[in-house]
Amino acid sequence: MTDERDVVLDQILSALRPLPQVDDAAKARVLIAVAAERERDREQAARRLTRRARWRWSGAAVGLAAAALVAAALLRSPSEPAAAVAGASPSAPAVLSAPSGAQLAARNADAEAAVARQPVQLVFRAPAATTVRVVGDFNAWDAERAPMTRDAASGLWSVTLLLRPGRHVYAFVADDSVWVRDPRAAAAKDADFGRPGSVLLVGRP
Amino acid sequence: MREAASDATPAPRNVLVHAARTGDVRSFAALVDAYYARCLRFALHMLVNRSDAEEAVQDTFVRVHRALPTYVEREAFEPWLFRILANRCRSTGARERRRAEFIEYGDVPERPGATVHDSAIAWREEIGLALSALPEEQREAFLMRHVEDLSYEDMAVATGAGVSALKMRVKRACDALRARLTEVVRD
Repeated sequence: MTDERDVVLDQILSALRPLPQVDDAAKARVLIAVAAERERDREQAARRLTRRARWRWSGAAVGLAAAALVAAALLRSPSEPAAAVAGASPSAPAVLSAPSGAQLAARNADAEAAVARQPVQLVFRAPAATTVRVVGDFNAWDAERAPMTRDAASGLWSVTLLLRPGRHVYAFVADDSVWVRDPRAAAAKDADFGRPGSVLLVGRP
Repeated sequence: MREAASDATPAPRNVLVHAARTGDVRSFAALVDAYYARCLRFALHMLVNRSDAEEAVQDTFVRVHRALPTYVEREAFEPWLFRILANRCRSTGARERRRAEFIEYGDVPERPGATVHDSAIAWREEIGLALSALPEEQREAFLMRHVEDLSYEDMAVATGAGVSALKMRVKRACDALRARLTEVVRD
C-alpha cells in the first residue's frame, strides 16, 4: 500500500500543516504546573524524612532503655533484692541520658517554633500590568495562590505573605505571561526552569 | 513566557531529553518550547476546540515530566510524546462525545462553519468538518503520517497498532477526505 498523494491531498495538507500561534502564557502554565508538582514531591519527601527521624528517636530511646535494664540486671549484686535494683541501680543515669518523652516533646516544640511564619510584604512596580501574582517555593509555584493588589495612584502591586523562616526563591508573574524577578532583591542562581528568580531571607522572630 | 533571551546554542533534542530525564529543569523547558506548537497543532486537529486542545497539550507535558524517569532512552522521544498526547486527546474526545449526547433541545453548539468570511477560511472550515467526520483512529493516523511526518514504525509506537493496520487507516482517511473535498475544490 502506498501513500497516494494528489492535488486534493496536497491542498488539504497545505491547510493543515502550518503551526498554530502559541501563547507564551500557555507554555508558562505548563512550567508552573510542573514546578508545583516538583514542590509537592519535595514536601512529601521532607515529611517522610521527618517521620523517619521521629521513629529513629523513639527507637533509640527504647533501645537505650532496654540496654540500661540489661546492664542493671548484669551489674546487680546477688544479695540485693530485685525491687531495690530497679529503683536505684548504678545504670539509672544511662536511662536518663536517653531522650525522654518530655525531651522529645520539647524538641518538637522547638521545631514548631522554628517554622512559625512571619509576615513579609512584597512590592512590585508595574503600572501597565493588569494582574501580578507571586510564585515561589512557599506557594508551590502556584500563581493562583498569591495575587497582588494594585495601588492605582502609584502603580505598585503588593501582597503580604506569611512565610516560614529561611531562604525562599520567588518571582512575579505579570499578566499571566511575563515572568520577572524582584529587582529589589538578590537574583537566585537556582531558580526553577531557568526563569529569573529572587532570593528572600526570612528571619526568626 | 517572555524573558531575557539566552545566548546559549540550542542543544540537540536527544541531549535535552537525557538532561530533562535526569532532572534538569531548563532542558525540560527547552523541550516544551521545541514541541509545544506541534503538539498543539495535532491536538487542534483532533479536538477542534482550542481550549480543549490547549488543556490536552498542557496536561500532556505535565504527564511527560512525571513519566520521564520511566522513559527508556533507546526509544525515540517523539513517538513516546505523541503516544501520551494521543491518549490524552482520545480521553478528551470521549468525554466530549458523552457530553454531546446530553445537549438538550435549544442548545446550539458552536459550529465552525456558522459564518463564512472568505474562500480560504471556508476551505479550512470544510477541511475541519471533513476531518472531524473521520473515525477517530483514522483521523489520528492520517495526522500523524501526513501532518506530523511520523514513520509508520513510530506511529506503531505512538498508537499501539500494527503497521499494516495503520497503513489501512491512513488510506481510508485519504480516500474519505479526497471524496468529500474534491467537490469543494472544483467549486
